[in-house]
Amino acid sequence: MFEDVSFLASMIDLLIPGSGSGKAIMAAVLLGASCGLLGCFVVLRRVALMGDAVSHAVLPGVVAGLIYSAERSPGVIFLFAAAAGLLGACLVRLMMFSTRLKSDAALGIVLATFFAFGIMWQSRNQQDTVGVMNFLFGNIGSIDASDLRMMLVTTLILVVTMFFLRRPLLMMSFDEGFSRGLGYPVKILNGVFYFLLTFSVVVALQAVGVVLVSAMLITPAAAAYLLTDRFERMLILSVVFGVASGISGGLVSAEVNGLPTGPVIALSATLLFGIIYLLAPRHGVLSKVARTLRRGMRVRRENTLKAIYQIHEGEGFAHEEVSVLMLARKRGQTEEKVNKDCKALLSRGFIEMAEDGVSLHLSRLGWKRAMEIVRNHRLWELYLTNEADYAEDHVHEDAEKIEHILEPGIVRQLEQHLDFPELDPHGKPIPQPAHLVTQSSVVPS
Amino acid sequence: MKPADEIALETHDLTVTYHKRPVLYGIDVAVPSGSLVGIVGPNGAGKSTFIKSVMGVVPSSGGWVKVFGKPMRENLPRVGYVPQRESVDWDFPVTVMDVALMGTYGGLGLLRRPGKVEKRRASEALEKVGMLPYSNRQIGNLSGGQQQRVFLARALAQDSDLYLMDEPFVGVDAATEAAIVTLLREMRERGKTVMVVHHDLQSAGEYFDHLLLLNMRLVAFGAVKDVYTPELLQKTYGGRLTILSEVADQAAKL
Amino acid sequence: MKTLEYITLPWDVLGLGALWLILMAFFVALPCSQMGSFLILRRMALTGDAISHSVFPGVVIAFFITGDLASPWLIVGAGLAGLASTVIIELIHKWTRVKQDAATGISFTALFALGVVLMELLLGKNVDLDLECVLHGRLGLLLEEDRVLLFGSLVPMPVLVMAGVAVFTMLLLGLFFRVMMLSSFDADLAASYGYRPAVIHYGMMFVVSFIVVAAFQAVGAILVIALLILPGAAAYLCTYRLKVMLAIAALHALISAVGGLYLHVWFNSNMAASVVVCGGVLFLLAWLLGPVDGVVWKWFKDEPPALEESSDKVGNR
Repeated sequence: MFEDVSFLASMIDLLIPGSGSGKAIMAAVLLGASCGLLGCFVVLRRVALMGDAVSHAVLPGVVAGLIYSAERSPGVIFLFAAAAGLLGACLVRLMMFSTRLKSDAALGIVLATFFAFGIMWQSRNQQDTVGVMNFLFGNIGSIDASDLRMMLVTTLILVVTMFFLRRPLLMMSFDEGFSRGLGYPVKILNGVFYFLLTFSVVVALQAVGVVLVSAMLITPAAAAYLLTDRFERMLILSVVFGVASGISGGLVSAEVNGLPTGPVIALSATLLFGIIYLLAPRHGVLSKVARTLRRGMRVRRENTLKAIYQIHEGEGFAHEEVSVLMLARKRGQTEEKVNKDCKALLSRGFIEMAEDGVSLHLSRLGWKRAMEIVRNHRLWELYLTNEADYAEDHVHEDAEKIEHILEPGIVRQLEQHLDFPELDPHGKPIPQPAHLVTQSSVVPS
Repeated sequence: MKPADEIALETHDLTVTYHKRPVLYGIDVAVPSGSLVGIVGPNGAGKSTFIKSVMGVVPSSGGWVKVFGKPMRENLPRVGYVPQRESVDWDFPVTVMDVALMGTYGGLGLLRRPGKVEKRRASEALEKVGMLPYSNRQIGNLSGGQQQRVFLARALAQDSDLYLMDEPFVGVDAATEAAIVTLLREMRERGKTVMVVHHDLQSAGEYFDHLLLLNMRLVAFGAVKDVYTPELLQKTYGGRLTILSEVADQAAKL
Repeated sequence: MKTLEYITLPWDVLGLGALWLILMAFFVALPCSQMGSFLILRRMALTGDAISHSVFPGVVIAFFITGDLASPWLIVGAGLAGLASTVIIELIHKWTRVKQDAATGISFTALFALGVVLMELLLGKNVDLDLECVLHGRLGLLLEEDRVLLFGSLVPMPVLVMAGVAVFTMLLLGLFFRVMMLSSFDADLAASYGYRPAVIHYGMMFVVSFIVVAAFQAVGAILVIALLILPGAAAYLCTYRLKVMLAIAALHALISAVGGLYLHVWFNSNMAASVVVCGGVLFLLAWLLGPVDGVVWKWFKDEPPALEESSDKVGNR
């Protein structure tokens, strides 16, 4: 039995790098892995502030460990810290259970009181201020082989537990009531979750520090959440981001004298998040802005096409051509703007310009699209007045918006619902682009 | 006294969108003064949203609201609002009396303190709903029906001419329900206009004299005998406009 | 030592200084306790936490420019940083699917980290503002600060400043008590009276930031949250009346200030942390023995009031 343990221990020792920077990178990897994994659950379960409370609550444990272990054995410190964190988490639950206090107050009380207790205790034992500072704001350079061994073991326990419990934990994060219905031991799982959460905080302690551990729990996981909809991928990405910010933060703080590691790691995680926030393909802000802009341009094009159609309709489809000037008057806009719109339509083949450059006519494609839009508009108006009892003078505004987003499926449903109508509520004919065979056939006889 | 044919509440093309999703479409309604109006419709029909947007608690995206012929903002003191009971935290450390007094705050402006007059109005209001003996109780210690009575007392203390009440009958016992109905009728007798969001179609026909049938849009408004008809009710509750809600979903996704 | 000596010890050691320390701690804790009570009722306790962390870079930059910890520009800087944190939270949770709590976490850890890094880079080994100050506050150094002559005694300057802040807060509270109570209890009704919920919300946040900045130097960035939450939470467990709750919270602030001084002297520990620990002990007492919500009563009474209340609620839902 003892041989097994010592064999395991020597295996672990093999994993620990000798050089200082090697140790720092190893620490960053462990930090990223443990916080990244747990962080995903923290973000999905919306308990980000629980992470903050637990991380502050470990401080008295750290102080106790520093005081009561003469040779500052990392095992003792980790043990005390984990115990304090768990006690904090239990107290939060107990407080919410037994009083009218809401979760935010309970979290704040535990966070602040535990932290203050730690500070008070530490200030009484002034001799070890530097040691405590390392735990408060992190110092990746101070991590030695025995610390690393501890971190490694803790991370391994965490990863293995997570691997076996990932399904029930995910279920529970998604819908606690439902998973209770499925017969999962929700209470035990919750306990396990807070146990693991405390472990991940403890692993990150020396590198990031008590004050900013919650950045490592939240920020990389939130960044991963913006990149993927799949949970497994989110786990992997979150770990990658955690490791990356751990390494870069560690490197930068080593370069600049006296800079504590924790804040730098937190800032690099935030920077990563910022980049992903802007550039993420689907959930990023830039892609959302681009989508909105593109939609706006499409709506503009479609409105121009509709205006052209309405001009033709107003003339009883007597003329082939429409002049830019007429279009500008119809749209109530300047000629330059309309010219620009026309260029956009031209490049997409919706219209053809006459050689004089002042008049244009719809192409086959243009006719089809214009009629679709006008039909959407009028069908929707008809639907609102006939089926939804809207007053006739209230439907135009809504139809102006809806005409651009009606999908073919819904249009078919509308037609069936309204029994293939021919006139809109204002008495105008609803065009039938499906019957568009030749260009002449669109002209109602 | 006001002329009986005065219009208490008038909305024109009142439209509300919530997170880009249309919830209420172009509501035109003119409620004559002195009527007791039930606002009925299925879940998600926008009943609460309607009165909230009338009160300006929820911003409307179009249309206007007039109260006794003037824009809402200028006539606020003449309108009393009773929010849903669940919308507040009943653990809040206030007493029954404190809540009733809140009804008088509207007339006090930002800084003046409630004085004797306000206290008397609050006591009278509590007396009327039978809650005066409880006036020193913390509100969390009341039953659901008692909590609703306190809310009504607060509205009475407001002494407005038009009342908008959001689901006052939810979660109350039969005795309270009957007491509330009596109270509402009494208010109407005194010339008040009361509009009540109500979820129970069965009782709506007997409790109110006017009905406002709502399902994302106004289906009908009128005297009970005119609109409490199978066709109109079918239109309100039955034919769920699948296409309308489908398109609203799409609009929200943009 | 005899019991009596324990009690007189602070006065023997510090003389009049003990009074100044108590007054200072009280003037810091009092405005925090009052605004904090409202934060608890509005379920915004952690907003206080976020504010106290995120104003830090603003304070650092303003201090770097002015070089004076008492400069009013510090408040401006802090206000701007607080505003930045609100904007960041909104930008994240309005534009993406990251929820409010995570957005808050990202925003305030980032700003706090920025503050620490800026402090190390800009200020280096500055004696007035360093990591110690961020954690512990400068309350313990009070007796070394500048003093002004007032009513025949030398009063430390910070005590006067904090007294001003406390009086200002109490005045605001007196004026707007009704408005704050109504909008915290029933925001919809308040809005229907024409009070603007957004104005009230941001007004309160502004006052909280103001107090946090003022208290920041005394107790540090992290312990402020304790002064905000503990008194209100303890008082909440003791009464059903808002006014009584505010009074108990103020009393809690006073007892923590006195008790904190004793802990400070007895254990030779950091004063700010001692005040908070004392407040924590008081909260624990309220939790166990509070007249309204005390756990002990619930165990011993045949029909505990709070349980009756909760079962009633379940029946009504």
